[in-house]
Amino acid sequence: MKIIRLLTLAAGLAASLQLTGCANISMSQPKAALETTTALRGTTMAPAAIGKFSLDSSRPADVDKSIGLRGGNSVKSPIDDSFSQYLRESLRVELEAAGLFDAASKTVINGTLTQSEADAAIGTGTAKLGARFVVTRAGSVKYDKEWIVDDSWESSFVGATAIPLAAAHYEGLYRKLTGKLLADPQFQAALAKE
Amino acid sequence: MTSSFSLGLRRLGVSLLIGASATLTGCASFYLDPATRDVSTAEMPKVAQPQPVKLNFEFQTRGAPNSRATEHLQGAVTEQIKASGMFSTLDAAPGGAILDIKLNNIPLNDGSPAAKGFVTGFSLGLVGSSVADGYECKLSYLAPGQTVPIVKLTRHAIHTTLGAANPPPGTVHVDSANEAVLKMTHAIISNALRDLAQDPAFH
Repeated sequence: MKIIRLLTLAAGLAASLQLTGCANISMSQPKAALETTTALRGTTMAPAAIGKFSLDSSRPADVDKSIGLRGGNSVKSPIDDSFSQYLRESLRVELEAAGLFDAASKTVINGTLTQSEADAAIGTGTAKLGARFVVTRAGSVKYDKEWIVDDSWESSFVGATAIPLAAAHYEGLYRKLTGKLLADPQFQAALAKE
Repeated sequence: MTSSFSLGLRRLGVSLLIGASATLTGCASFYLDPATRDVSTAEMPKVAQPQPVKLNFEFQTRGAPNSRATEHLQGAVTEQIKASGMFSTLDAAPGGAILDIKLNNIPLNDGSPAAKGFVTGFSLGLVGSSVADGYECKLSYLAPGQTVPIVKLTRHAIHTTLGAANPPPGTVHVDSANEAVLKMTHAIISNALRDLAQDPAFH
């Protein structure tokens, strides 16, 4: 039973560190995924600008601000306290890493956050992220599509484990979503060099 | 039921080493696995013409980003890369070279496929006397204009015991969980950097 005592000790101390009262977990600053960068460097896309990103107007404003995890705990965005702005920055850093970001470009990518949820339920945790992306060039729409990605994982009955893990999986969806968008041949065609 | 409960506790405990690093003191002891030795700056192969690079570092737990641990280790990792002398700056221009380091924590006592695939070569102790956290470092270097990175993989492990339990043989005692994590990080990255520096494709 020593191993159980050891692990219980570790869990209890970690819980006291991570979850004293209610925890607000801030996601990391967006980073480019190397896999996406290497894929983009092999394409013939032209640099693009990033335009306006916002929450779908049909959704409650709170959806853009935080996600509650098991009561008073939450995950938040470090970018303007906004998930839609986190998505915007996630896309910008991906394009920049591949040398495909140009704030002055006439090709502009706009986005609307349509889905944002995570659940640290006991047993199986789930998360979902969705956004509609619109590409315009000189005012003409070249691309308009919604992408939705999701994730599920084994979720502990102890909040000290389950809540940070849910936040981590939710954060990972931003790379997954931008990766889907940037790998879409239709999107790449919309950004193709003229 | 007991088995399931024990497994749950194991998964719980081993996944929390990083989170507990600031508070685990007293009766818990920490040991570095001897399989991965730190490579000092003096031992690092010299790079004739260091070039700028953009550093991306991320700590992961079971492959998912761990923002708190990333923040905790970011400064130390940045200083280590600078001290290696392998790169002129760490703020390469967009589209330039990228050094991508992912340090993934894999709990070794939870019976998962990832754990089973990891343990070869490491000093696991007797069941019931210690728990181990495995760490896998994937260091990727993408040169400017290239689409295929150079990739180096290195591994390390931290063992934790309770009370007077004997540590796994050959392991190196460290004073705290935080020291264990910092030394593990330095050692695992130093090995990956050395492997990169020795790769002719890097030069």
